[in-house]
Order: sequence, then C-alpha cells, then structure tokens
Amino acid sequence: MLWGKRIISTYFYVFMLVMYLPLLTLLAFSFNNSLSIGFPWRGFTLRWWENFFSDPVALTAVRNSFVAAVAVAVVATLIGLGVAFPLVRRVFPGKSILLSSLLVPIAVPSLLIGISLFSLLRVQLGLELSLFTLVIAHILVALPYSSLVLMARLIGFDRTLEEAAQDLGATGFTTFRKVTFPLIKPGIFVSMFLAFIISLEDAAIANFLVGSDLTVPMFVFGQLRRWEGLNTAMALSSFMAAIALAVACLFLIRAIKPRLHRSSKA
Amino acid sequence: MKDDTTIRERELSILRKMEKLLYYLRLFPAVFWLLVFLILPLSVMFIYSFWTMVRFELVPTWTLKNYLDIFVRAEGLYLRLLFKSLGMATAVTLGAIALAYPAAYYISTRGGKYKYVLLNLIMTPYLVSWVITIFGWRMVIGYTGLVNTLLMSVGLISEPMRLWGNWIAVIFVLIVSWTGWLVLPIFVSLEKIDRTLLEAGEDLGASPLENFRKITLPLSIPGLLIATFFVLIPTLGEFVAPLLAGGTTGAMIGSAIEVTVTRMHNWPFGAAMSFLLVTIALITSLVLIRKAGLRTLMESL
Repeated sequence: MLWGKRIISTYFYVFMLVMYLPLLTLLAFSFNNSLSIGFPWRGFTLRWWENFFSDPVALTAVRNSFVAAVAVAVVATLIGLGVAFPLVRRVFPGKSILLSSLLVPIAVPSLLIGISLFSLLRVQLGLELSLFTLVIAHILVALPYSSLVLMARLIGFDRTLEEAAQDLGATGFTTFRKVTFPLIKPGIFVSMFLAFIISLEDAAIANFLVGSDLTVPMFVFGQLRRWEGLNTAMALSSFMAAIALAVACLFLIRAIKPRLHRSSKA
Repeated sequence: MKDDTTIRERELSILRKMEKLLYYLRLFPAVFWLLVFLILPLSVMFIYSFWTMVRFELVPTWTLKNYLDIFVRAEGLYLRLLFKSLGMATAVTLGAIALAYPAAYYISTRGGKYKYVLLNLIMTPYLVSWVITIFGWRMVIGYTGLVNTLLMSVGLISEPMRLWGNWIAVIFVLIVSWTGWLVLPIFVSLEKIDRTLLEAGEDLGASPLENFRKITLPLSIPGLLIATFFVLIPTLGEFVAPLLAGGTTGAMIGSAIEVTVTRMHNWPFGAAMSFLLVTIALITSLVLIRKAGLRTLMESL
C-alpha cells in the first residue's frame, strides 16, 4: 500500500518533468555557442538571443501572435457571452441546432477548418490573406470553448440573486454590473485564457490563412521546414518557453505565498 | 374606452416582441460566424470535391472521380494512409490517456489544497506553440539530442540511435504533448466520485486495486470519453508532427491532404479527402459527446 503511494507520487514528478523537459532543453541550448543545434556544448553565448532581438521579422512575428491572441480572447468571449445566456435561460426555435453547430469547430480537425476557409476566402473570393483572416478563423475555433465554459458557469447560477436586485429597484444594467458579472467573472477569465492559448498555439490553421503576416509558430515552422536560420528560431522558441516558465513560476509563488504569511505570523 | 385598451394591448405586445427581438440579437454574431466561416466554407469544399483540375484551373463539373481516386490512386496509397492514420490516432489516444490517468489520480487523491495549482502547472506549457514543443523534443531525442548524448557518455551505446524521423517519433511526440491536456477532464470525473462508495467497498473487504477496478474506473468513463474526444479528433488531421518528426515513414492522411492542396494545388482531390475526414471526425465526435454528455464536456474546460 505504501509502495503503491510512493510509486504514484514518483510517477507524478516524472510526469511533470516530461511536461517541461522540451521547454527547459530549448532554453538551455539557446545559450550554446555552436552553429549546429544540440550537443556538443561549446560554451555560453548570448549571440542567438541578440540575433533574435535584432531580427525585425522575428519580432513582428511575436507582436502578431500576441495581437491576434488578445483579439481572439476578447471577441470570442464576447460572442460566447451572447450565446451563453439565451442557450441556458431561454427556449427558442432552433436552439438545439445552434448548440450542436457550436460544437462543430472542435469536432473537425483544424487542418480542415484551415483548408475550407482557404477555399472560400482565397480560392473562391480571391481575398488577400492576413492576420485578420487568421483572427476570424481562430475566433471560430475558440467560440465552442468560450460558450461552453460560460454556459457551465450560468447553469450553476442562482437566478434569485438577479431577481432580488431587480426587486430592490436596480436597472437591467446595474443588475448585470453588480450581480451577474461578478458571479460569471471566473468563467470569463477561463474563456479568455482558453481562447488566448488556442490562438497563440495554432500552426495548423495559420499554415493556410495567415498569408505573409508571420506568427511565432509559423516563423518557427518555416525555419524548421527549410532547415535554416534555426538558431534564431531556437532563440525565439526559447523566448516563448521563458514566458511559459515565468507564468508557471507565478502560479507556484502564488501557491506558496499564503503559507509563508501564515508561518511568519505563527 | 374599449378601443383604448385594445390599442394599449396591441402596443404592449409589439413592445414585447421588439424586446424579444432585441434580446435574441445577441445570438447574431455567433450565428453569423458559424454560417459564414464554418458552414459556407465547408460547403465550398464539398462542392470542390466534385470538380476537376484542368491545367491548374478549377473546372466546375460533377464527378465522383476524386472520391474514387482515394481508393485507387497510387495503388491505394491514400487508403492505406487513411487506415494507418486511424491506427496511429488510436495508439496516440490510448497512450496519452494511459499516461494522463495516474497523474489525474494523483492530483485528485493527494493534491490537497494544491490541486488547482498543479492543474495550472500542467496547462502552462501549452502557452508555447505545438511547433515549438516538437522542436524541443527534437533536442531531447534527436540525433545529437539529450538522450543520445547521455547514453553515449554513460557508455550504454557506442553511436547515436535514430530515434527521430520515423513514425514512432510521431506517435511519441503526440502522446507526450497531448497527455497534459487530458489530465483536466479525467481529474474532473474523478472528483465527482462519491468517496463514501470507496469506503463502503473497503468495509466490504475490497482491496484498493479491486476498489479501483470496480468503482473508480467505471465511474470515470465520462471523463475518459471527453479525453478521447480532445485527443482523437485533432490527431486525425495532424500534419505538423509527421512533417517535422516523421521522416519518410511518419506520414499521415493530414500530411497527404496538406501536400495535395499546398504543393500539388489539386483542390478537388484534397477536398474529397478532407470531406471524408470531416465525416469520420464528425461521426466520432457525435458518438463520444452523446455517450459522455454535454455537461461533462462543459465541466472539462
């Protein structure tokens, strides 16, 4: 019994290590003073990071990625809020059709979302592809996540609170601001976080829709495909890895901090 | 007098209708998005799949040749690729779930007040793009990577192993990168299990293993179905990992579609393959979500 517990906790530590291993390895090798990627270790250098920070294409890719991710997070959550309320609270014709078509964007591999949008926008309509077309596609893919998260939040919502506010004379808007919004705020955060990740992560849709506006995954993908300029791609990848690691550290600090406070008081 | 009230009533009912209309206006963006950027593009693709390519020009015809081509072109290469992809996707799904389950179990039973911190820590690596994760894994198991160098310096192998650039590498990379994403749905279904059931089992003399097999595992099946949905559908259309990690043996149907469309510009054939894959993915999703319940899907996000 004790052994079983020990095995499973050891397993968990290894699991966490494996989750972070590619990021840590990338970060370590981005300081390797060698033109080729990987071992042998030839000493410490900041060359690749300098290259990256002076490469306008790579920096634009970073900017594009974050601009797209923020836009997708905000718009997908707003549209999600729009459907979540009626879908949870009202009965209307076509409700079940709407609900099932909302799931289609995540029930179809994103490669096919990319190809079908490319056939419509580029091949059929001849539109110029850009970051804008990519954002449109990302919103489509993020929408199911946003709506479902918000719907889950609304299902567990005590509606008498809103009625009480209205009985006390609050207007519709005040009720929303003071009662509804605070209660669904966690759902809004999760929705934005998921939409943000979906956009920041994606290479499959961007491969078809981004045109000449590179995003981070597309920059790295292009370099890996052509097998050149890998050092800059590595520094850029490490930059993203560093951001993820910083976020992880924030989570850790926030988790440990209250305990520190308590022990200092005691 | 009587006329007055009927007019008032009519005004009120118009007002109520307007209010209703205004309320349902909020559905408009989503409906617009789904119609214009999902249904319409998929329909265009569906129509393309009946057209033909004459000298790099799309020609509107109505032919089933593209669908037949999936079966006969290159001596059935595409059909074999489809079956191989289904096999690989199944292997990835099973592998990723098998790795995620104990981790979710650990968090649920031993996480204490750190449960949500641990879940957050598992999600954070996904802030980095999938392409970058693959790049990172190449530095770990590639020819001059961490594993080869470590094993060589210990003296276990005399020359680097070819771990990268084949179908096993594709499956491996897909498993380890998807598994973290599956911890949450499994965790959620484990959390919902009534602990008193386990105590009752124990009181009746069940061993921990029996308890797990007869209570925990069956009750976590909805979570497992959602986890399957999360990993199986994207893996069916995967082309990034086969391209970057697959070498010559790692190709999947997604890579064939991508090459057909972007390199060969054979839209009709690519559309036919895409449509077949869309159908497979939609039916699979329908079955999985029906079985697991929409509620479970919502709670797993």
